[in-house]
Amino acid sequence: MKYQSPKERVLPYLFSVPAIILILASISILLFVGTGGVLAINWEMVSKSVLKGGIFEPIVGTLYLLSGTMAISLPIGVLTAVYLVEYAPKGRTNRIITQAMNNLAGVPSIVFGLFGYSFFCRFLGFGISLLSGWLTLTCMVLPIVIRGSQEAIRMVPKTFREAAEALGASKWRAIRDLVLTTAAPGIATSTILGISRVAGETAAILFTSSVFLMRGLPSTPFDPVMVLTYHIYVLLVTSPSPVLDRVFAMALILLGLVVVLNILAYVVRLYYRKRKRW
Amino acid sequence: MVTINPKIETKNLNVWYGDHHVIKDVNLKIFEKIVTAIIGPSGCGKSTFLMTLNRLLDLNSDVHVEGEVLLDGRNIYEPRLDLIEVRRRIGMVFQKPNPLPKSIYENVAYGPRVHGIKDRKVLGGIVETCLQDVVLWDEVYDRLKDSAFELSIGQQQRLCMARALAVKPDVLLMDEPTSSLDPAATAKIERLVRVLGKDYTIIIVTHNMQQAARVSDLTAFLYLGKIIEYGDTRSMFEKPREKLTENYIIGKFG
Amino acid sequence: MVKLTRNSFFSFKFKDRIEITLLIVSFLSVLILSLITIFLFYEGAPAFMEIGTFNLLFGDNWAPFYGRYGAAPLIYGSIMIVVGSLVISIPLGVIAAIFFAEFIPRWLGDLIKPFIELLAAIPSIIFGFFGLAVLSPIISDLFGLALGKTAFTASIVLSIMVVPTIVSISSEVISSVPNDYKRASIALGATHWQTLKNVVLPTAKLGIVASILLAFGRAIGETVAVLMVSGAVAKIPVPFWNYFKPVQTITGSIALDMGEVPFGSTHYHALFGLGIVLFVITFVFNTISDYVMRKAPTAEVQI
Repeated sequence: MKYQSPKERVLPYLFSVPAIILILASISILLFVGTGGVLAINWEMVSKSVLKGGIFEPIVGTLYLLSGTMAISLPIGVLTAVYLVEYAPKGRTNRIITQAMNNLAGVPSIVFGLFGYSFFCRFLGFGISLLSGWLTLTCMVLPIVIRGSQEAIRMVPKTFREAAEALGASKWRAIRDLVLTTAAPGIATSTILGISRVAGETAAILFTSSVFLMRGLPSTPFDPVMVLTYHIYVLLVTSPSPVLDRVFAMALILLGLVVVLNILAYVVRLYYRKRKRW
Repeated sequence: MVTINPKIETKNLNVWYGDHHVIKDVNLKIFEKIVTAIIGPSGCGKSTFLMTLNRLLDLNSDVHVEGEVLLDGRNIYEPRLDLIEVRRRIGMVFQKPNPLPKSIYENVAYGPRVHGIKDRKVLGGIVETCLQDVVLWDEVYDRLKDSAFELSIGQQQRLCMARALAVKPDVLLMDEPTSSLDPAATAKIERLVRVLGKDYTIIIVTHNMQQAARVSDLTAFLYLGKIIEYGDTRSMFEKPREKLTENYIIGKFG
Repeated sequence: MVKLTRNSFFSFKFKDRIEITLLIVSFLSVLILSLITIFLFYEGAPAFMEIGTFNLLFGDNWAPFYGRYGAAPLIYGSIMIVVGSLVISIPLGVIAAIFFAEFIPRWLGDLIKPFIELLAAIPSIIFGFFGLAVLSPIISDLFGLALGKTAFTASIVLSIMVVPTIVSISSEVISSVPNDYKRASIALGATHWQTLKNVVLPTAKLGIVASILLAFGRAIGETVAVLMVSGAVAKIPVPFWNYFKPVQTITGSIALDMGEVPFGSTHYHALFGLGIVLFVITFVFNTISDYVMRKAPTAEVQI
């Protein structure tokens, strides 16, 4: 209907090839990890300690790492976004902060690792610990949270806040009560994506936070932690014939976590779009 | 009444936007080298009707068209027809001037290029002729390489007309071409329509009745997707046959 | 009336306090970036002084445990792999973007694109695992190599990781080319492909280029996946275009050595020196990409 010359009728089929290749690639990876993982995993493995051939601590350690990171970065990120959108939407301050954010977003994760090691681990003396990991990952994930929150807050019509202020609420209360609650799904989306990013991170925690083996779970933030990504890495890279079923099981959990989080973010985004009545 | 073969003829033309029946059973004959105006209140399908004539409506995915549109006797909705050639023969000027993001020269040369003309001299000649035809040449001859967006809106619209003329169409469809323009620019375009109307078949959609009265030979009144009345412009405005037409013309609604 | 003034004054102060707090919090991003810059240079500068900038960057013997700090093989390895991945991912990505933006209806594109965006979310360690366990053996079989860990393998893995960036940004940019232009072109009798080639793509060009620059930045910073399949051999391959040899990247050697390096040693500083190189390269590319993106005549795009 659109393309008239007969030569051009081939084009949509031709152009579909790369897209098909990419879709096949993602399906193969999912299938690879999925089937290998499903075959390898069992409740015993998941519940047993690493010292007994299980993978319990890396799973929990990852969760510890995630929660701490998000607990720190979420408030900072949201408040920064609020400031950028509501208090200083234009002008030099905004440009400086946005510029810094954009540059931060482009820094490779291994460089965050180097920074984290020299600053948090050494300079501040936190050592290779959960805390260093939280702080390093916060630095890494901040731009994501800020950007996403900015988007979400920007989409809230100015009239909401103005109406609240006209009724006598202070700017901050208007923001807190109206803007943030309205923007919450959008903020949630970017937070979820941030969590996903942190969960899959290896390079930044390689030598700032994680260890391959330790006794039990971290009892204080100053203890190091075992995480899924690092554990998989060490098993695959350092052992001559890696114990694949543990690797598959961990990969499955990791991938599963990431996929679920992304689907969640997608769903929240859709729900948010449907609910928007303005 | 008229025994000449129409240049364009629609037979039982029906158009749906999804479930919305927008054009209802339109049978209209458009005659060659005559300016035909289509008037009617906003949203009654005038633009839609125009876009069925060059199948530009095809670009919209939830549109359904039934019936025939004959150009020189051949139905342009026939599946095996050369749509490119149809679109070359039926040119269009849009409501909001939409120059391509290219230079003034390249805008006019785009059509001929796309239809295979590569010779720079030939293209140059076409560009000059067309810009002359729309009385734009004197204003732009020394800055043909400038971006089309640097022109004023009125000039951009004339540029779009030149661009349409460059492929040597038979028919020119104009969809409210002056609604974005100021009175001076509007007057220039209306003058062009009257001049070009001698060599081209022009169909101009307008919500401005005075404009229709000024530029057209025949006028069709389209209301809620149906042709209410169609005839000689002067008679329609002085003595409309239908009550509805009369009400619209005297401003009872619209 | 005096009371009113006092109240307004008080609430004014409070509002100011909030704004100042928020300002301070917001400046954390700036602070972090500055700290990173400071500490990187603080720990890395000694390397340039002890080893010498020329030797560090252009010396071609990287054997730090033996006191050799010529990082040229690493820089070359990184460039090799990144170029290889771009050669694969640019055509793949741009054509897929055109496909999504122009050849299929919007709803279908919105349905399929999440699959490709999922690719962007997969952790790099999983790519590495896949590359190691699946791609590597296939490549060594296919090309008769002893080991499947080569620059070629790494390029393939990296390209899959980097393609979603190109696809999502480019397709967004292409979709946002104003419909007016397309309608004008079609009304003149141009075919869909002619319209694409002469109007749509030239308009989207800058955005597409920006996405490629961004992809480059991400590719050069990738660590784990590449490390696992590149072979980790710090030597420039003998015919320098031979992709079927193992190589080592900047990121890979940092990752590999940092765990074992004595704090404050030359080796330690050298790794930070490499970090500086990486930081500067990605900084430059991201800045150029931002700049190009801003010059692009189409709507703002999420990166």
